[in-house]
Amino acid sequence: MSTATSKFIQSLPNAEQAIARLRELGMPRRNNELWSFFPVAKIPTPEFMGTDFATSPAANPAAPPTTAPAHSSSDEAVQKETDFAALLPIANLARPMIREIADGADEMAMLKCNNDFGHTVLEIGKNAKVSLEILDNKVTHDIAAERFDINVGENADVEIFFANPACDLPLRFRHFNINQAADANVRFSSICKDTAIGRVSVECHLKGEGANFDYRSLHVLDGEASQHSRLTIYHEAPRTTSTQLARNLLSGSARVSYDGSVIVGYDCTGVNSSQLVNTILMSEDASVSVKPVLKIYHDDVECTHGNTVGELDAEQMFYLVSRGIPKKAAQEMLMRSFAQETFLPLPDSPAKKRLMSSL
Amino acid sequence: MLSIKNLKASIEDGTQILKGINLEVKPGEVHAIMGPNGSGKSTLSKVIAGHPAYHVDGGSVELDGKNLLEMEINERANSGLFISTQYPTEIPGVNNVEFLKMALNSKRAFLGQPEMSDEDFKKLCEEKMNLLEMDERYRERGVNDGMSGGEKKRNEILQMAILDPKVSFLDETDSGLDIDALRIVANGINHIMSPEKAVILVTHYQRLLDYIKPTYVHVLRHGKIILSGGPELALKLEDQGYDWIEEA
Repeated sequence: MSTATSKFIQSLPNAEQAIARLRELGMPRRNNELWSFFPVAKIPTPEFMGTDFATSPAANPAAPPTTAPAHSSSDEAVQKETDFAALLPIANLARPMIREIADGADEMAMLKCNNDFGHTVLEIGKNAKVSLEILDNKVTHDIAAERFDINVGENADVEIFFANPACDLPLRFRHFNINQAADANVRFSSICKDTAIGRVSVECHLKGEGANFDYRSLHVLDGEASQHSRLTIYHEAPRTTSTQLARNLLSGSARVSYDGSVIVGYDCTGVNSSQLVNTILMSEDASVSVKPVLKIYHDDVECTHGNTVGELDAEQMFYLVSRGIPKKAAQEMLMRSFAQETFLPLPDSPAKKRLMSSL
Repeated sequence: MLSIKNLKASIEDGTQILKGINLEVKPGEVHAIMGPNGSGKSTLSKVIAGHPAYHVDGGSVELDGKNLLEMEINERANSGLFISTQYPTEIPGVNNVEFLKMALNSKRAFLGQPEMSDEDFKKLCEEKMNLLEMDERYRERGVNDGMSGGEKKRNEILQMAILDPKVSFLDETDSGLDIDALRIVANGINHIMSPEKAVILVTHYQRLLDYIKPTYVHVLRHGKIILSGGPELALKLEDQGYDWIEEA
C-alpha cells in the first residue's frame, strides 16, 4: 500500500498552494453555484500567514494572480479544487493527521481535531472493515474548518458517521473528499443539531467498478440555525451505485439547503443512483432549499431524485392522540420515527447504534 | 353511559353528513349499526372521536354525563372512549409496544394513577396478545406498519384490550378478516366486554353478529338512524337489504 499511499498523499495540496488557489477563487459569493444557498456574508475574510486576504491579488483585478510554482504532483489536483471550505484548513496550516489502515484490517476509530482547522488523511487498504466516528473538534475561534481525504481500497467496507451534540459554534465547515476503488462500500451518516451556521460538503469519486456510496443525513434544527449540505457524487466506473437520503426536521426560523449532484461519466454502464430529500417544517418561518443536479453521459443508467416538504402527517397525529396520547408527546413520537427511519436501513453496526441512540 | 343527542356534523365544504343522530347506550349493551355505504357510519365514529376533518353543527355526545365534544381528542380517549376506524392508520417507525405503553400511561396519568411498571406492562401485553393469538412479531413492528387488513384489525382490538375503555366504537372491525381471524377477534371483544362496558359495532354483515350478540341493531341512512330493533333486524337486513325500509 505504501506506493499508493505516497501517490495519494502527494496529490494533496500544501498550504502555499491552497492559499494561492484560494486567492484565485476569491471569497465565496452567492452567484457561485457552490455557495448559492449559503449566507456567504457571514464568512469572515481570512488572514493567512499574517497576510490580509482582502489585500491579496484576487482583490485587485489589475494584479496578476499569484500561484504556487509548479513543483509537485499536487499541482493538477489543487488547480481543480474549487471549494473554499476544502482549502481553508490546509491554508490555515492544519497539520495533516495521516493514518494508514492495513489491508484486511478490522478497525473502529474516533477522529477528533485539536484545533479550529483540521486535516485528516486516511488511506484504507483492500478488504478492510472500518468504522470511523468523527467527534467535534476543540474550537477557540469563531470559525472552524475540517477536511477529510479518505482513500478506500478495493472491497473495503467503511462507515463514517457523526452525531455530535448541538454545537453553537458560529461557523463550521466540514469537507470530505472520498475516493473509492472497485467494490468498496462507504456508508456516510450524520445527525446535525447545531444551532448556528454550518456546511458539510462531500465529494465522492466512485472510481472502481461495483463501488457503492450510501449517504444519510438528518438535520434537527431550531431557532436561527442555518445548515447546508453540498454533495457531489462522481460515478466514474461501471455498475457503481449511490444512495442519498436527507431528512430535515425544522422548527423556529431554521434553514437548511441541500445541493446534491450526481455525475455519471461516459462508459459507466449499469449505474444506479437515487436521491431523496424529505423535510418536515414545524413552523411557518422554517425553510428548506433543495437543488438536485443530474449530469448523465451514458444511456444505461438509473437515476432518481425526489423531494418532499410537509408537516407532520395529520392522520397519524389523529391516530396517536385518539389513543389518549397528548398532542405534544404524539408530535415527538412522530418526529422521532421520522428521524429514526433515516437510519433504519443501515446494517447493525457501531454507526447505527450511535446514531439511533442519539435520537 | 353514552348519550348522543341530535348530533349534526358536516365536512369542510359544508356538506352535512350527520343530520341528527340520537343514540342511548347503556352499560352492558352491544349496539350494531348497519346501513348502506355512504350513510354516515364512519363519520359518526370520527365525529365522536374529534377528527379535525369534521365540523359539529349541533347536538351533544355525553359519556357518563360529560360532554365529549368539549374535550380535546386525547381527553375523550382517556375518559373511556375507544374508536377503531375502518382503515387503521399506519405509523412506520413508531414501535407498537412503545405506542401502547405510552397510550396506557397517558390514560393512567389522566386518571391520576401512577405509571405502569415495565414488568407489569409486559405481563398485561402478553396476556392480551395471547387472548388474541398474536405472535411476538407484533411487538417489534411499527404501529399497523405493513400489516394486512386482518392483522391491523387484530392490532386494534389489542389496543382496546389494553386501554380497557368504557365504550368502544368499532367501525367495520370484521372487514378483512378470514373466518379464523373473525372468530379470534370476536372472542377477544366478548372477553373484554363486561356489564360495566358497552360496544358499538359498525358492520355490513350478520357474520360478526353471530359471534357478538347485539342488544340493539340500528339502521343508519342519509345521516340519521331511521330504524332500530333487536337482533332479528340484522337477520332481516341480511336477507332483504335496505330498500324495504324506505318502502316502509
